[in-house]
Amino acid sequence: MRVGLIASTAGHLAVLLWGVMSFPDAKPFEIAPVDSLPVDLVPVSELTRLRIGEKTAEVREVEATRPTEKPVEQPKAEEKPAETEAKRPNQATPAPTPAPTPEPTPAPERPVPPEPQPQPVAPEPPAPKAEPEPAPTPAPEPEKKVAETPPPPTVRPRSKPTPPAQPQRERPRENFNPNEIAALLNKVEPAGGASSNSTQPASLGSRQGQSGVTMSQSEIDALRGQISRCWNPPAGAAGAGDLNVRLKVFLTPGGEVDQRPEIMNSSNNPSFGIAAESARRAVLRCAPYSLPAAKYDAWREVIINFDPRELLGG
Amino acid sequence: MNPVELAQTTLAAPQGDMSFFALFLQAHLVVKLVMLGLVVASIWCWAIIVDKWLLFTRTKRQMNRFETVFWSGQSLEELYRTLSGRANHSMAALFIAAMREWKRSHEGARPAIASLRQRIDRVMDVTIAREAERLEARLLVLATVGSAAPFIGLFGTVWGIMTSFQAIATSKNTNLAVVAPGIAEALLATALGLLAAIPAVIAYNKLSADAGKLAARMEGFADEFSAILSRQIDERS
Repeated sequence: MRVGLIASTAGHLAVLLWGVMSFPDAKPFEIAPVDSLPVDLVPVSELTRLRIGEKTAEVREVEATRPTEKPVEQPKAEEKPAETEAKRPNQATPAPTPAPTPEPTPAPERPVPPEPQPQPVAPEPPAPKAEPEPAPTPAPEPEKKVAETPPPPTVRPRSKPTPPAQPQRERPRENFNPNEIAALLNKVEPAGGASSNSTQPASLGSRQGQSGVTMSQSEIDALRGQISRCWNPPAGAAGAGDLNVRLKVFLTPGGEVDQRPEIMNSSNNPSFGIAAESARRAVLRCAPYSLPAAKYDAWREVIINFDPRELLGG
Repeated sequence: MNPVELAQTTLAAPQGDMSFFALFLQAHLVVKLVMLGLVVASIWCWAIIVDKWLLFTRTKRQMNRFETVFWSGQSLEELYRTLSGRANHSMAALFIAAMREWKRSHEGARPAIASLRQRIDRVMDVTIAREAERLEARLLVLATVGSAAPFIGLFGTVWGIMTSFQAIATSKNTNLAVVAPGIAEALLATALGLLAAIPAVIAYNKLSADAGKLAARMEGFADEFSAILSRQIDERS
């Protein structure tokens, strides 16, 4: 037995020695430094959504359909003052315009550019020039540039005639003739062909596509917050919790309400009409809204939900 | 913190001491005891293996030599006289035991021959049992180590992994560098357990088969010798 024990111990010691000799130390595990990679979460909708534009146009950074053929729209400045003046020339030049046929009608609008202040002066000079048409129009434009620069996104023609809110304030100054406005509306409407009139060259895309600009949730919330400050929901009405009003609000680049807000839904609740009116009043009262000017395309038309439950704490 | 820096700082600490001795010294006391026990078991197993291997080869050689002498036609009396002087094992021990019984039965005034054959068989059975026991002694240790050592090693591993999880809990860091030393030392216990168990199992199977073969060979010789003696008894009576 002793032989075996000695042999075994010697063998184990030899193995241990060999192990110590040949594996003196574990090799340090080298880790190549890995650069941290920034990761962005990109919503895929930006890539998959159809861009608005012309099918035949080249790809451009900014989506835009080709501006409507009529040169009229470019010069149009969207400010309310401009609109008010626009009416004035019309009033002044009703006689000349009928002669040149329907096309001239845009022309009278162009004279609009003349600044608001020199009202008495401006209307007369443009009026005569109105007949020559193209020549005068370029001239007024430079003056207008002040107005043009803030609203690069442009105006859409149909919105122009409608805004009853602002004109109402200014009209008292002049002799307000509702019939005149009706005439103006009729004339202007055919001119508004393009859905999105932009001064930008057309870009590749679909006419049914959407513009790439979207409002962020916080911006929508900001707008909602601004509006809700002015909103007095019809408290006490029967079933007030159901009086959910959806308003389509049209805004100008300056944040003013451009047009009478449209009520998008309906209800058979008898107080719905009151609620809808209160919502509409709130929208009109709180104008102007401060919204990011760069995203005007996104908030030109905003649909806002007026839910009394949120205000009533329901 | 920059992830690269983080990785480097956490790696820096436990690095460098992963040798056998360092692993052993880092280990928890229980794991240390398990490892020591397994090393001792391994040494003991190998001692038994070497011892048995030597014993079996020696026994086989003695058997071969005895058989050649036995079947060489030499007189049994003479063979008994040469062998009886020294310590004998296996077949020689069988032969001596049977011859001694034979001799004693023929000594004295009245030889007891009536049941001599049974007595000789009995004596040889006892001798075979004694020899077999000598051959198989301590083989059970091998069997025990072979079956128990992996479990003992596993116990050490489980204990070591428990400590490494405690290290995670205390450092609040799941980095591999925190866990790795504990797991390494824990796995060393399993490695030692397998190191002890595998040779033990193999050797147990081999040695017990060899022992069985030697015992069978002795029984064969006992039967043959018993036949020779009973023929002698019958011829004399």
